Amino acid sequence: MIIQIEPQSDVAIYKQITNQLIEGIARGHLRHGDSLPSVRAFAADLGVNMHTVNKSYHELEKRGIIKIVPKSGAVIEAQTKLLQGSPHAKRIQHELKTVIAEALVLGMKTEQLEQELAMIMEDLKHNKQ
Amino acid sequence: MTVTIFLILYFFITLVEMAIPYLVKPTIVFGVSVPEKKMRDPRLLKFKRRYSLTVLATSLVLFIGLLVWGIQGNSTEETLILITTAAPFALLFVSLACYVYFHAKTTQLKREEKWGEGVKQLQITDLSVRSRDEMLPWYLFALPMLVTLGIIAYTIVHYQQLPNQIPTHWGPNGQPDAFTEKNPFSAISSPIMLFIMQVMFLVINETTKRSGIKLSATSTEASRVRQLTLRKYTSWFMFLTSILITMLFSFLQLMTVHENLLSEVMMLLIPFAFLLILLLGSIVFAVKVGKAGADKWVQSGDGVGDFDEDQYWKGGLFYFNKNDPSIFVEKRFGVGWTLNFANPIGYFITFGPILLILIVTYFT
Repeated sequence: MIIQIEPQSDVAIYKQITNQLIEGIARGHLRHGDSLPSVRAFAADLGVNMHTVNKSYHELEKRGIIKIVPKSGAVIEAQTKLLQGSPHAKRIQHELKTVIAEALVLGMKTEQLEQELAMIMEDLKHNKQ
Repeated sequence: MTVTIFLILYFFITLVEMAIPYLVKPTIVFGVSVPEKKMRDPRLLKFKRRYSLTVLATSLVLFIGLLVWGIQGNSTEETLILITTAAPFALLFVSLACYVYFHAKTTQLKREEKWGEGVKQLQITDLSVRSRDEMLPWYLFALPMLVTLGIIAYTIVHYQQLPNQIPTHWGPNGQPDAFTEKNPFSAISSPIMLFIMQVMFLVINETTKRSGIKLSATSTEASRVRQLTLRKYTSWFMFLTSILITMLFSFLQLMTVHENLLSEVMMLLIPFAFLLILLLGSIVFAVKVGKAGADKWVQSGDGVGDFDEDQYWKGGLFYFNKNDPSIFVEKRFGVGWTLNFANPIGYFITFGPILLILIVTYFT
C-alpha cells in the first residue's frame, strides 16, 4: 500500500499518515493481524522524523485501530461490532456531528448528505484504489 | 608490475569518472534535482557530455605527458612510485573541479527558469517495499569470521614455527618488504585487522538495510527498481569483498607460518587477481545499478513532483538531514552510498574500524 504525504500541506504530517492508514484498512489493503513497518523503517523510507511516525502510531492505538506490542511492533487489531455508547462510537458520533453541522450551515440538503454517504461507502468498499 | 597496476587503475578511474553522469538517477544532474520533464533538457545533456569529454581529455593529456617523461628515461624507482600515485589523484581532482563547475551551472539554470516551482511536492513510500528487499542476511557476513578464528587458532598452534621477523607489508613484487619483531600479538595482528574489516562489512550491511528505501512520487516503479537493485548489489559486492579480503589475508598469514608454501609467481598473481576481481566487480555493480529502471522514468508528473531535497545536500555531495533516521543514503554523484552527516552513528561506523586498524598497526 502506498502512503503519500504532502509536507507543505496545512494538515500535519502525522495526521496525513494516520488518515491514510485508516483509509487503507477500510479499503482492505491492510487486514487485521498485519503488522505495520517499524517506526524507524517507516520514517526512513518516507523521509520524515521518527517522532512523526511514532505520534501517528500512538494516535491509531488510542483510537483502538492498532495495538503496539513491545518488540513485535504495531499490529492491526481485529474489529468486532462497535457498541453503541462505547467511547470509540461516541467519538465518531461527535466527529460526524461537526462535519454534518458544517454541511448544513453551508446549505447541504439531507438527501445530498445521504447520497454523499452512500457514495463514500461504495468507494471505500469496492474501489481498491 | 607497478606500471601494469598503475595503467589498469588509471584507465579504470578515467572510465568510471566519465560514466558517472550517465549512471546516476536521471532526475539528479550534477547533484541537483531536476523535474522529470527537464531530465532530457538538451542543455543538461550538453553539460554531461562536456564533463565526460573534459575528463577524457585530461586523462589522455596526463597519460601522454607521462609516456614522454618515461621514454626520456629519467625515471628512478622512487619518482615512478610518486608519479603513479599522483596521476590518479590529479585526475580525480580535475573531475571534482569539473563537477563543481557543472553543479553551479545546473543550479543556476534551475533557479533562473524556476524549475519545480509552483508544483505540489510529495513524499511517498510503499508499505510492501521492504518485503521485496533482497539484501543478504547478516549471518552470511559472519561466515568469513569463522575462517579468521580458524586462522588465529592455526597460528597459535604453529607459533614455534613462525619466523622471528613477522612480515607486515608486501611490495608490488608480491614479496614482504617490511617486518616486525615476533611476539604473540604481532603474530596474529593481521588476522585481527581482517576480523575488524569483516565486522565492518557486517555492520555496514545491517545499517544499509535499516536505511530508507527512497521512492519517487512520480516515477515510483523506476525508483523502486533502482533502490532495490542498488541495495541488493551493494550487499553482494560487500560480501564478495569480504570473501576476497578473507582469502588474501589467509594466504598471507599461511605464507608467514609456512614460508615456502607458494611460489613467487603465485605471490605475484594472487594480489593482482584480487585487484582485478574487485575492479571488475565494481564495474558490474555500477552498470547494473545505473541501468536498473533507467527506461521506466516517466516524463509526465504535471502539477506534482518529488519533494525537493536540494536543501539537505551541501554542494550536491554531502547529505545533512536531521529528520531522516537513515545512516546511509544513495549518492547523488556516483554509484553507491554516502553518509547522512547529521547522524553521528554514521561517523562511528565509518571511522571506527579505520581507527581500530590504525591502533593495531601502531602496537604491532
